[in-house]
Amino acid sequence: MVLDEKTLVANADAGVLAGEAVALPSRTQVGPTWEAAKTVALRVGSILAMLIVWWLLTFIFPPSLIPDPIDTLKEVGAIVNTGQFFSEMGATLRRVGVGFAIAMLIAIPLGIVMGTMKSLENFFEPPVILGLTMPGLVWAVIAIMFFGLNETSAYAAVAITIMPMLAISLWQGTKSIDKELIDMSTAFHASPWSKVIDVILPQLISHILAAIRYGLGLAWKVVVVVEMFGFSNGVGYQVVRGFNVFSMKQVLAWAITFLIVMIFIEFGVIGWLESRVTRWRPKIEAWRR
Amino acid sequence: MAYVHVEGAVKYFPREDGSDMLVLDRVSFDTKEFGITCLLGPSGCGKSTLLNAISGLERLDQGRIEVVAKNGAPKGGQAKLGYVFQDARLLNWKSVEQNLTFALKGMEIPQSQWPGRLQKYLDLVGLSDFRNQFPLYLSGGMRQRVGLARGLVIEPEVLLMDEPFSKLDQLTARRLREQTLQICARLKQTTVLVTHDVEEAALMGDRIVIFRARPARIIEICDNPLAPGDRDIDDPRFIQFKKTLLQSVLKLMGTDEV
Repeated sequence: MVLDEKTLVANADAGVLAGEAVALPSRTQVGPTWEAAKTVALRVGSILAMLIVWWLLTFIFPPSLIPDPIDTLKEVGAIVNTGQFFSEMGATLRRVGVGFAIAMLIAIPLGIVMGTMKSLENFFEPPVILGLTMPGLVWAVIAIMFFGLNETSAYAAVAITIMPMLAISLWQGTKSIDKELIDMSTAFHASPWSKVIDVILPQLISHILAAIRYGLGLAWKVVVVVEMFGFSNGVGYQVVRGFNVFSMKQVLAWAITFLIVMIFIEFGVIGWLESRVTRWRPKIEAWRR
Repeated sequence: MAYVHVEGAVKYFPREDGSDMLVLDRVSFDTKEFGITCLLGPSGCGKSTLLNAISGLERLDQGRIEVVAKNGAPKGGQAKLGYVFQDARLLNWKSVEQNLTFALKGMEIPQSQWPGRLQKYLDLVGLSDFRNQFPLYLSGGMRQRVGLARGLVIEPEVLLMDEPFSKLDQLTARRLREQTLQICARLKQTTVLVTHDVEEAALMGDRIVIFRARPARIIEICDNPLAPGDRDIDDPRFIQFKKTLLQSVLKLMGTDEV
């Protein structure tokens, strides 16, 4: 090993020099702006395709079943212009938001505790699994029967429906965290609080974000059902009103406002949150095409 | 500064079938004060278990381990120990600097001392320019240097290192060994370094404790005849010392353990 080391080094040096003499061929690159434009074009194209399919369906079905897309979009505009959108959507968002916050406050500690302590895992596993199998509709009925037709029942129905799902996600996430980092934090005498905040929670971030995405999807479904039962505002109530006068246009217009808000939350709020909390992670996109 | 006194350390691990496996068999030794003590032995021989016992991550079944301060008084649980792991074990979501302050916070170092210490130890490992960088953007060698700085920044009585170079490529490991040796010599840092690499032990260790495996039992303790500055891997005296060590290790391993 000692014998050949100097010659090896000399050869390596020569190789580097020879390599430098020849200009590196530039890698064919399309550039990031082109990539971004392509992404946007594909997404817009997908939405356009859906609108075209809808429009084609209007030739087959009567307008009472498949209303004209342009008319429906005008209805959406009217809903937004009259300010109805903000009051109704505000009420629905508040119910989802409060219910979601309650579920999170319970699910995060519960999931972490289940993931770290075997005995509590065994104790809480059956209720969590049972809760997951219970349909949201049933929770909505139970909540309304229990609390009556008021805001509390909406909060409770949302919270209890999504809580098991959040808890399972965090429980599994906690089980998969790096135990060696816990040892490290023990070696440096980190306090239990610091272990949770600095070591465990950051490893759960991607699980929490995924849980928020699924949780929101579930929460929307439940809250609309609760509102249909007899609330006097909220998106669910408006959909029922549309149903009562058999106006497909109105039902679809409210559904679309809903989707717009969902898209805003998904790409705007959660996307922003994700890029903020994962900025420590280098982007690995090379394997995707 | 201080040294570590290990006396009659015994440790069992439970086997799958419920019986106990002896991991450490009456291990006794003193580490060098102000220098590096290498625990040398084959892989999986219980050296890391011993290191974990020194740090308090594992409990001994018998025997005692004390960190003895310079004046000879045992420091008990009060002793500050720095730990450098085999893989850097950094918190990837925290910057280089925040990884160091995590240790400072845990060890309850007054916050007024943080800026000075961060500056000093980041300079020492040559990472001052990367203090705000996240670990995953650094090379393996740089991450390991962050781990070293984290172990040092708490100014421990004893620094424990568990095969800190074994996951690095050969050239990086070689440079980092030299740097670590210089840093420890400059700081007069009492250090315990676990390794299975005879050359590493000969290069780094002021005292070398040789273990045989399953259960770990000390076979030989020898002091390095060369001062840290004289250990040149091409020097005949170094090669001679390395050979002696290697022979001891091979002789002890026997034929059944290869």
